[in-house]
Amino acid sequence: MEGLSAFVLAIILVGLGLWTLIERRNVIWKLLGLNVASGGAILFLVAVAYRPQARPALLGLGPGPTADPLPQALVLTAIVIHFATLALALAYVIFLTEHRHTQDIHKLEREEE
Amino acid sequence: MKWVARTAILALLSLVAVGTRHLFPRPDVAPWQEPTAQYGAENAVAAIVLGARLWDTLLEVLVYALAIAGVKMALGGLGRARPLPPVPETPLLRRSADILLGPIVILSLYIAASGHLGPGGGFPAGAILGSGLLLLALAKGVERLSQELHEATWERSEYGAIAALLALGGAFLCLGFPGSSFLVSANLLITMEVAIGAWVVLHYFARARGEV
Amino acid sequence: MNTALAGVVAYLALGVLGFLFRPRWLSSALAILAGAVSLALWAPGFSEMTLGPSSWGIAVVGDELARGFWALALFLHVAVAWHERARLGAFQPLLTLLTGTALAAVISIDLFNLYVAMELAALLSFLLISYEAKTKAVWATLQYLLLAAVGMILYLLGVGLVYGKLGTLSLSQIRALAPGLSDPTVAIGVGLLVAGASVKSGLFLFGLWLPPAHGYAPTGVSAVLSGLVVKLGVVALARLAVAFPLGDVLLALGVVTGFGGIIYALWERDLKVFLAFSTVSQLGYILIGFGIGGGAAQGAILYAVAHGLFKALLFLAAGQAIEEASERHIAKLKGKLAWPSALGLAVGTWAIVGLPPLAGFAGKETLSLAVPAPVGWILTALSFGTAAAFAKLLPLFWPGQGRGKIGGLALLACGVIGLGLLGVVSLPGLVSLTAWGKALLVAAMGYLFYFVFRRFQPALPRPSLDRAITTALVSSLGLIAGFLFTR
Repeated sequence: MEGLSAFVLAIILVGLGLWTLIERRNVIWKLLGLNVASGGAILFLVAVAYRPQARPALLGLGPGPTADPLPQALVLTAIVIHFATLALALAYVIFLTEHRHTQDIHKLEREEE
Repeated sequence: MKWVARTAILALLSLVAVGTRHLFPRPDVAPWQEPTAQYGAENAVAAIVLGARLWDTLLEVLVYALAIAGVKMALGGLGRARPLPPVPETPLLRRSADILLGPIVILSLYIAASGHLGPGGGFPAGAILGSGLLLLALAKGVERLSQELHEATWERSEYGAIAALLALGGAFLCLGFPGSSFLVSANLLITMEVAIGAWVVLHYFARARGEV
Repeated sequence: MNTALAGVVAYLALGVLGFLFRPRWLSSALAILAGAVSLALWAPGFSEMTLGPSSWGIAVVGDELARGFWALALFLHVAVAWHERARLGAFQPLLTLLTGTALAAVISIDLFNLYVAMELAALLSFLLISYEAKTKAVWATLQYLLLAAVGMILYLLGVGLVYGKLGTLSLSQIRALAPGLSDPTVAIGVGLLVAGASVKSGLFLFGLWLPPAHGYAPTGVSAVLSGLVVKLGVVALARLAVAFPLGDVLLALGVVTGFGGIIYALWERDLKVFLAFSTVSQLGYILIGFGIGGGAAQGAILYAVAHGLFKALLFLAAGQAIEEASERHIAKLKGKLAWPSALGLAVGTWAIVGLPPLAGFAGKETLSLAVPAPVGWILTALSFGTAAAFAKLLPLFWPGQGRGKIGGLALLACGVIGLGLLGVVSLPGLVSLTAWGKALLVAAMGYLFYFVFRRFQPALPRPSLDRAITTALVSSLGLIAGFLFTR
């Protein structure tokens, strides 16, 4: 069961992130929660790549157990996608703050009606 | 209402934990040495990102570039081009920017160019270069730096870099893979694209806020 | 395979170049040309194959599903680009990129490649929905973004579990392994994948971002989103159903989303939001078809293409009507429409309620001929609900003053009629008195139901952001628990 701790940490991070997402009314807090949660999902993939006593998958390092390179490559892609989405979301929050002068979702929804 | 969502999160994650429990023991890693060497790389992750799963990477580069374009579209039309207050000259920042900028640029180029041999690659290199630009912006002020950098030209060349990457990558996907020269050039193109994108985001966010 | 890939790459590269060079329409036109040539070259189809080494590579396939969606995507791109040709700025390049992404998504059978393609499609949708920088649209976009991110976190966790257990991302290799769902890790992983894709495709309870996002998007954008983009998630579900035994799950999801969408559509008064709820319900037909599989899957593909055409027509006509009258309420729009938008709404409505010989009839009838009898009754009930919901558009068909613009409406109307006639002539069993009579009877009963019960206005709970997140989480939980305990 070596390597379980990374999974546990990943799941806890996802939980904390989703918890913030539903608890907070401020959009920025929601985005922060989402970011923590996607960090957890990314860590989950890293944990899938882990092997006991493993080295990184580089050719020059000689024989021995290595980590799985495929999930690590997926992680690279997922990080960039989450960064891009977060930047866009923050830009929309700035836009809404300029026009509606609030970041509270209840107010954003109420004024819409 | 909220307790429903709370319970759902806890239950959902305990189910994920149950699934994780049954992942053990972990199987051995599939052999990766041979395909890595085939792509002319030593770093298996680079061989996957720029070789075996190049198709994913091309789409991902598009995601990044379009998010930057989206930030520009959302914040560009805010219609309050109020001039930024001039940044006070702080000798500490100025000096440290002078000293650090050279090493930062060299480090990022090194990481980009050797990304297929060891840890590194275009995305981290671009992030490093972007943080170097952030340092420079703190020292000089965003607007002034933007003029000195000829931002508009760079933005256009960002789209050019993506189109070049798509064309190169598409040709290699269809015709076969040429080896490590492509890995290096793709890493450099990605570095350029990521650094420009990071700069553009920084610039627009700073302008919407009114100061650095 | 190479021709299809080259087509997608050319599409995306020309879309990017569209940001740089003027005139803007040139790159779109070249991209459509490249896509059409590529489709013509690979149209016989290609079997499943892997780009790169088999342990890491991305598997692609050119089957009937991919072919149908390529044709739909190219046709919709032509129609919408023509209709919105007056729009300047980044609109046309973004539309080209969105179409190119759809082309890439439907040929992919790799778990992670589907994720990246869906993310790219979602990102382009964000940009297009908020394109006019109206506060309502931006708020709708932000809701979409938050929910889509939740869906994608679930999907990534699913990818981790499935890859960790099976050691491959390629759905064709997974099908060869035939894992089944007896292993708890695989069951939970597949549950997470299905939940993530369902949130992304805007199914009822999973993705309640869809009605505001499609309702407040600019005219042409709603057409492409409803016609094409939401179905990418359904395509991902159909691809998953090939590798894992998911038939009953897709059937259940289809029934829920079909009736849920109908119930909200029946009492919605805002024209475009109403059409968006109807999109939610129509996804149900497609899911039911994929869930049954075999001939029904072909019917589902036909219905997906037909729905793409007539829903795009409805959204273009509705958006134009709203712009002409500066009014979104269905009741207040009466008599304010110019003739092209009134006619467009009429043709689209007749198609969606399944009147022969339009495209909707061909799709629905092919689907219901291929399903067992109890499911056939569900489909009939859905058709009845659709007819009842669309009955309130009846007063809008009589045009008022004004000339109006025709644009892409004519093209789409021709597509709806042409596909319908082609289907009725070429497919077996569609030229029968019972089928035509049944379609007419269901439509008439729907209209009757509406005129009897139109005064009845129940207060349905509005899907606010927190509620939408809660329903997404709760229904995902239900789905995964169902996977775990019924395996």
